[in-house]
Amino acid sequence: MLVDVARVALLGGILAVDRTAGWNLMLGQPLIGACLAGAFLNPGPQWELWALRIPLGIGVLLQLLLTDASLPAAQRPRDVATAGVIGTSVALLGMQQLHPTLPVSTGGLLWVVVGTVAGLVASVPGGWYEVATRARNESRLKRVDECARQGRLASFEVLYWGSVVRAILRGAIWSVAGTALGVACATAVLPRIASAVTGPRIGLAFAVLLGVAFGSAFHAHVRGRANGLRWAAAGAATALVLMLRLGGGAP
Amino acid sequence: MNERTPALRSSDLARVTSRSFYLQAFFTAERQQGPGFAFALLPVLRRLYPDDEARGKALQRHLGFFSTHPVLSGYVLGLVARLEERLAQGEDADDGRIEQMKRAMASPLAAMGDPLFWVTLRPLAGLVGVLGMVLTPLADPAGPDWRVLVCPLLSLLTYNAVALPFRFAGVSRGYASGEEPGKLLRSLRLTDLKSVLERAGAFAFGALAVSTVAVLASSAGLSARDLGHAALVFAPFALGAAGAVVAFRLWPGRGVEVSLLSLLLALILSARA
Repeated sequence: MLVDVARVALLGGILAVDRTAGWNLMLGQPLIGACLAGAFLNPGPQWELWALRIPLGIGVLLQLLLTDASLPAAQRPRDVATAGVIGTSVALLGMQQLHPTLPVSTGGLLWVVVGTVAGLVASVPGGWYEVATRARNESRLKRVDECARQGRLASFEVLYWGSVVRAILRGAIWSVAGTALGVACATAVLPRIASAVTGPRIGLAFAVLLGVAFGSAFHAHVRGRANGLRWAAAGAATALVLMLRLGGGAP
Repeated sequence: MNERTPALRSSDLARVTSRSFYLQAFFTAERQQGPGFAFALLPVLRRLYPDDEARGKALQRHLGFFSTHPVLSGYVLGLVARLEERLAQGEDADDGRIEQMKRAMASPLAAMGDPLFWVTLRPLAGLVGVLGMVLTPLADPAGPDWRVLVCPLLSLLTYNAVALPFRFAGVSRGYASGEEPGKLLRSLRLTDLKSVLERAGAFAFGALAVSTVAVLASSAGLSARDLGHAALVFAPFALGAAGAVVAFRLWPGRGVEVSLLSLLLALILSARA
């Protein structure tokens, strides 16, 4: 368990740097975070199959749902970098603990839905935490100015690297705290509603989330884009033709 | 040229490039990327100014407000490095001119970079990763799912194939074209690139929609004759999508709220049914 916590913290820290410090290599996107968390966490050989498929499902849904195609100034503060990590960690650790009361049903869809909801919810306080951490930089500006006045470049560098370390710590702390809170909530709530957690109901929840994800993707990629509908129709037609040709007649 | 003042070396510019990856670590509401800009420029200041006082003065010059697109920040850093070099060598440059050129370059790069990288390329890269999941065949249904590696890799490659060349070339190109920032801005052709990527995004969405519907139909075992069953299977998906399209039009950027509300509504309806 401690090893899992350390892995979640490390991953959350690295992804937070990508998102907040300026790496911007796309590592901080939910799809990458969720898949990396799936590869890092190891719930045991009996869960090997699910430990890879559930993160992929969570990552795909969170990637589409948390894509905000507004300009940065108009975006709401959402910590998408740790959302994928927390979603996957809650799902995998919850699945491991709650298996006796909630067996893996409908191909692991239950845990995909649980992880996606955990990731969505975690992105909101994660965003507030990120804003609060950045606000603390303001109070250090005086020391930065003082270093410049006195020509102490090395001290300025130390202060600057300190802000990188704070970003790592913020990501690590929030990933672990969000995972712990998520697993605690899942452990407290899910066994109580176990009788209501049926295959068809989970399938319905998954289908609705997938539909909303496609609505979000439509908003991001088609609406408001020059000739967006035309290019989307071209993409759909191409995919259909390829499927008919490669699939021997039936899509 | 003043012989006591060394010229910048390519290794200095390489150091500036590597430091530009931390541009936003000290982001503040008041100065935005200002401290990050000064941090990235430190190797240049160390090379050009011999004593602490001169270095401190130069550092103060760059600690003020600065805001541009992080991926394109290298062009401004390179341009400013060239101007600092000229100032240190006693040529025609002063504090005011450096600040003026910095702002003249940073604002258009931010205005072009945000819609290109954040609004178009990053969502497209995510979509390509998702498309990878639908299009990559599952080699062994009982074995490890390699798509967990393929999808993130596709996303990372799509994004970084476009963004990294700008990051690595930025400082040296900005330095080389220090005299003509307008020409440099035009040569980047960011608006053309954006419209190509926009089309690619819409195309990928169309392909993803058809592929997903095909996968759902095949996993539910649907046939063309069984329209009633097909409608039942696709109804939650279609209703979720239609509701989201309307909701995002009214409340853009509210992905979390719209998703959770839709889920709640669906579960309430299913409990009553």
